Amino acid sequence: MLLFSFGVFSQEQKMSESEISAFKNSVNATAKSTKTLTTDFTQLKHMDFLSKDIETSGKMNFKTPNMLQWQYVKPYQYSIIFKNNKIFINDAGKKNNIDKGNSKMFDKLNKLIVGSVNGNMFDENEFTISYFKTKDFNITKLLPKDAALKKYVKQMELYFDKTGNTVSQVKMIEPSNDYTKIIFKNKVINAKIDDSVFNN
Amino acid sequence: MQKLMIRFSIISILLLVFASCAVKTVKDFDKTEVTSQVYKSPYFSDKNEDYVYKASISVYGNNFGGIFIVKKTNETKHRAVFTTEFGNTLFDFEISGNDFKVNHIIDELNRKILINTLKRDFMLLLKENFKVSEQFENENFKVYKSPDSRRFNYLFVNKLDKKFSKLIHTTKSKEKINIEYLSENNTLADKIVIQHQNIKLRIELNKIIN
Repeated sequence: MLLFSFGVFSQEQKMSESEISAFKNSVNATAKSTKTLTTDFTQLKHMDFLSKDIETSGKMNFKTPNMLQWQYVKPYQYSIIFKNNKIFINDAGKKNNIDKGNSKMFDKLNKLIVGSVNGNMFDENEFTISYFKTKDFNITKLLPKDAALKKYVKQMELYFDKTGNTVSQVKMIEPSNDYTKIIFKNKVINAKIDDSVFNN
Repeated sequence: MQKLMIRFSIISILLLVFASCAVKTVKDFDKTEVTSQVYKSPYFSDKNEDYVYKASISVYGNNFGGIFIVKKTNETKHRAVFTTEFGNTLFDFEISGNDFKVNHIIDELNRKILINTLKRDFMLLLKENFKVSEQFENENFKVYKSPDSRRFNYLFVNKLDKKFSKLIHTTKSKEKINIEYLSENNTLADKIVIQHQNIKLRIELNKIIN
């Protein structure tokens, strides 16, 4: 079933060992030279029992080493900022801070989110990783090893643009097989982003 | 004679106590004849509809949000799911009449007291047929009183536009939960506020146009 719904990206082929190392090198090089990243995104939440996926969209800003802002604009205003081991939430004007310093789970989710944006996710200690390619994408599929993380995420799939070696789609599959798909559009790399963007 | 006096005093004291304890919900309302045996809630009753809400929960001064999703999956069953804004499922319940099944809940929220609170809230929210035992009205509302185990639900229906605008869940003497509905068309609730009276819990749901 899962493979089926991926018809669009059909003809997935496993990468060879040499392709894997070339791919990793170019992604790491791109990640290293990426100081900032700004992009629009569309998020689709798929649940089997719903007739339609839930679509939300907004803007994302990332600045090295670890400032990240997700800003949902449609159909509601919500922004979440990951900065200095803290999470700042602005929910339509209601502000909330979470200190994730003592939450291992938050830390892992944060790494997952930052990693899926800059592609820095080749951590064999955390994930069992497999590599695939199609005409347009290089694809990594990550299976969490950590028991706590496994309860939230069954598998992460990152789709990398073959042209720019940056992530253009993320699919997070839950243990129930429902998933969230995030598609990035209008990516701009290394544009100047003011630090104030990461203040709520 | 003295015995009679004492008995009389006790009865009056009891009456006084009972009278002052009676739930205030329909105070100043006129009791009328019951005109329909069952009141059918129009909300969450369409199997073709995905009911998706942005949720803001405030509990003892802490605020958090997420997405609340309801789907009527067959004639008697509803699925109620809560996810983060990113889409991670926090809990997934199945409700059918008085049956309540937890399909999934994350460890951090897996507390009996929390589940029982949510269970009662969602059962009230998703209940479709209310048996009417008494009926009241004032200038603006018709109120249907419906027994719910040892408790009661008072359903407020606006006289003018016939909209189901409020549900008050009570014991014999106290209001426990207040649910207010705002609806444009009387079949979809655009905004719902669940307010608890005995604990500091407020859930606000705003419909997302998908």
